[in-house]
Amino acid sequence: MARFGTDNGFSQSGRIESGGGQGSGDSNRGGPGGRISSQERPLGGSGMAGRESESAVEEQWARVRGRLRSEVGEAAFRSWLKPLTLVGMREDVVRMSVPTRFMRDWVSSNYADRIRALWKSEQQSLTGVEIIVQAPREAPANDTALAGTVNGSGGTAARVDSDSAESQPAQSPAAPAQPQPQPQPQPQPEVEVTASDSGLYESRDSTFNDLSAPLDPRFTFENFVVGKPNELAYAAARRLAEAATTPFNPLFLYGGVGLGKTHLMHAIAWHLHSRSPRKKIIYLSAEKFMYQFVRALRTKSTMAFKEQFRSVDVLMIDDVQFIGGREATQEEFFHTFNALVDDNRQVVISADKSPSDLEGVEERMRSRLGWGLVADIHPTTYELRLSILQAKAEEMGTAIPLKVMEFLAYKISSNVRELEGALNRIAAHATLVGREVTLEGTQEVLHDVLRANDRRVTIEDIQKKVAQHYNVRVSDMSSARRARAVARPRQVAMYLSKQLTSRSLPEIGRKFGGRDHTTVMHAVKKVDELRSTDATFAEDVDLLRRMLEG
Amino acid sequence: MSVAERQLALDLPHRPALEREDFLVTTANAMAVAWIDQWPQWGQPALLLYGPASSGKTHLASVWRRVSGAVMVQPEALLERDPPELLVGAAGAVVDDLDRLLDTVAEASEIERALFHLYNVLREQGGHLLVTGCALPKQWALTLPDLRSRLAAAPAVEIGPPDDRLLEAVMVKLFADRQLRVAPEVIRFLLARMERSFAAVRALVAALDRASLAERRDITIPLARRVLDDIQGYTENEAHEEGS
Repeated sequence: MARFGTDNGFSQSGRIESGGGQGSGDSNRGGPGGRISSQERPLGGSGMAGRESESAVEEQWARVRGRLRSEVGEAAFRSWLKPLTLVGMREDVVRMSVPTRFMRDWVSSNYADRIRALWKSEQQSLTGVEIIVQAPREAPANDTALAGTVNGSGGTAARVDSDSAESQPAQSPAAPAQPQPQPQPQPQPEVEVTASDSGLYESRDSTFNDLSAPLDPRFTFENFVVGKPNELAYAAARRLAEAATTPFNPLFLYGGVGLGKTHLMHAIAWHLHSRSPRKKIIYLSAEKFMYQFVRALRTKSTMAFKEQFRSVDVLMIDDVQFIGGREATQEEFFHTFNALVDDNRQVVISADKSPSDLEGVEERMRSRLGWGLVADIHPTTYELRLSILQAKAEEMGTAIPLKVMEFLAYKISSNVRELEGALNRIAAHATLVGREVTLEGTQEVLHDVLRANDRRVTIEDIQKKVAQHYNVRVSDMSSARRARAVARPRQVAMYLSKQLTSRSLPEIGRKFGGRDHTTVMHAVKKVDELRSTDATFAEDVDLLRRMLEG
Repeated sequence: MSVAERQLALDLPHRPALEREDFLVTTANAMAVAWIDQWPQWGQPALLLYGPASSGKTHLASVWRRVSGAVMVQPEALLERDPPELLVGAAGAVVDDLDRLLDTVAEASEIERALFHLYNVLREQGGHLLVTGCALPKQWALTLPDLRSRLAAAPAVEIGPPDDRLLEAVMVKLFADRQLRVAPEVIRFLLARMERSFAAVRALVAALDRASLAERRDITIPLARRVLDDIQGYTENEAHEEGS
């Protein structure tokens, strides 16, 4: 089957094709990588007479490119002509694409004549050269993600490719003639899919009232790493979750941000839920309680609001400090709280401070919050952080060298959330670039977190550091000496000055003993060459760069 | 199939032509683009995108909006409306230029609270928040510890200082925006001598435009040399040497 019909071969839609042709066969599948066509494939297609064979055109293109490169020089070629991609040739018009619109304008206005002449010399019958704009091919990972998303809107892949008359409207629910039934004002109907894509939350079930926030399935007792700083809070939460009656009421958990209060609360809810699935549990943050209450006031549905809260078996309010200073909300919360506690229903509260330290909260309230068990979570220790990282890495199924975990545990001492965030980032980065996690990579990825300040590196810093590294004098950076032992470090320093500062090349030259900007350009080129041929040298330069960016 | 139908179909690909065509990917912004492409696999409910002014953050954010259906949240709206009202069913939101916003508005702490709530709502829904800014995120003036720690846990990706290709492309774009046609050798001349930052290229292009307009002449190397000289005290040495 011809991928592209005769009438759309060169339309913009040439960029997209389905994984397996038209029809319903794969309309709901959209396998990874199937949707985005290889843009370098010349537009083939059967049954079109008088056309150069694909490979012949490819060969001509290779020659045209080669000659362009030598004519315009390496720098200009790399910037503007290398991104040119052959799309194909049809009816004596050759078509090439570039990834951006400026690039098209630039290439057309500056190089079109040369390109045309070169093509013409390859093929006398040529009548035209066209340059179109086409986004570059996506990385395979995106295709997968995308295929999943687009499938949510139904049959997209099949529709794009189906230019035959048999194409049924039923296969294209999102076709323009048929407005989406959902009342969604925003374009992409697939946004809904993302909720399940992230895999974060299970759907609600009857246990949790719809005022309740969904629970994170990862936040269970099993996944909670216990250490000295949090063992008291953990034991209290566990005891409450396992007790037949209300052992203490309320349970008040407090500690700094990101230390695991929310984790413990979700764990309690999960545990209670698994023990008695019919118990009604509400978990929500205090600020959400406030917003809901304000809305109930506005819609005059406060009775319903009260009812919902007072009919639960377990109420958990996270981050209660957020109702400080909000009097009406505080009042309502206080009534709800009292009603539940008086009725012996379990209440669990978390905050960033102990009850007596809560700001903007009435005295009677502060004292009642402290009537049950108050358990605090202390800042983490190095040992706890390391165990958390180990557990988390295992959970993620990513191989993280111990050295990296020790480094993270040492460097990121603020809290667990940020620690886990850092681990996520380095794992995601490793996946993104397809490399293993290393200490060097970690320092690079987290440089924004680790860097003490944003101070700009100066040329003087670079000269000093490079001189020290190669064991030459700083004065040699600007001396006239040409011996390689000093010339090479000088070139490295110039190279790094260009990479790490925004100074102009003439200015860099001046700082290296009044040298010319062409000398700087030569140094940059030289270092680039050496980096690509000499791995040890490349490592050296990278190391210097990291130290300077520190 | 009619032409109209086929064109509509094109709105569905990963990166809509309109957004993507104008965005040049180079080493300076490749990681940022990769993260945007990686959505929804961000590992966290938020992603921070930071880099110098004019480096393409807002542009990338709008590329993401097209992909995700996320809404752009204006500061005033953030203060006036609840997250569900802001999101109108979308599972994503963009807050642009947060650090500048926090530095300039009087209601910074209210903004932080509203943003914290928005973050939590998005997190509950499995949605995502994209926040952009100029400075290193740890230097953003966040005072609400809860928000600060959540954003600190989010992946932060930098659009770095421009490399040669990006600088060149930006310069060509800025000239094109002003309907100026400048020969490649002039561009090369400028690139080898100017301060290499987004801000500098912007200032330089504006100055060249002014000079060319005032003198009613094209932008040539001699003109470029003079303007550069005015801007950065670019000295006779280099000018002389290049004259050959």
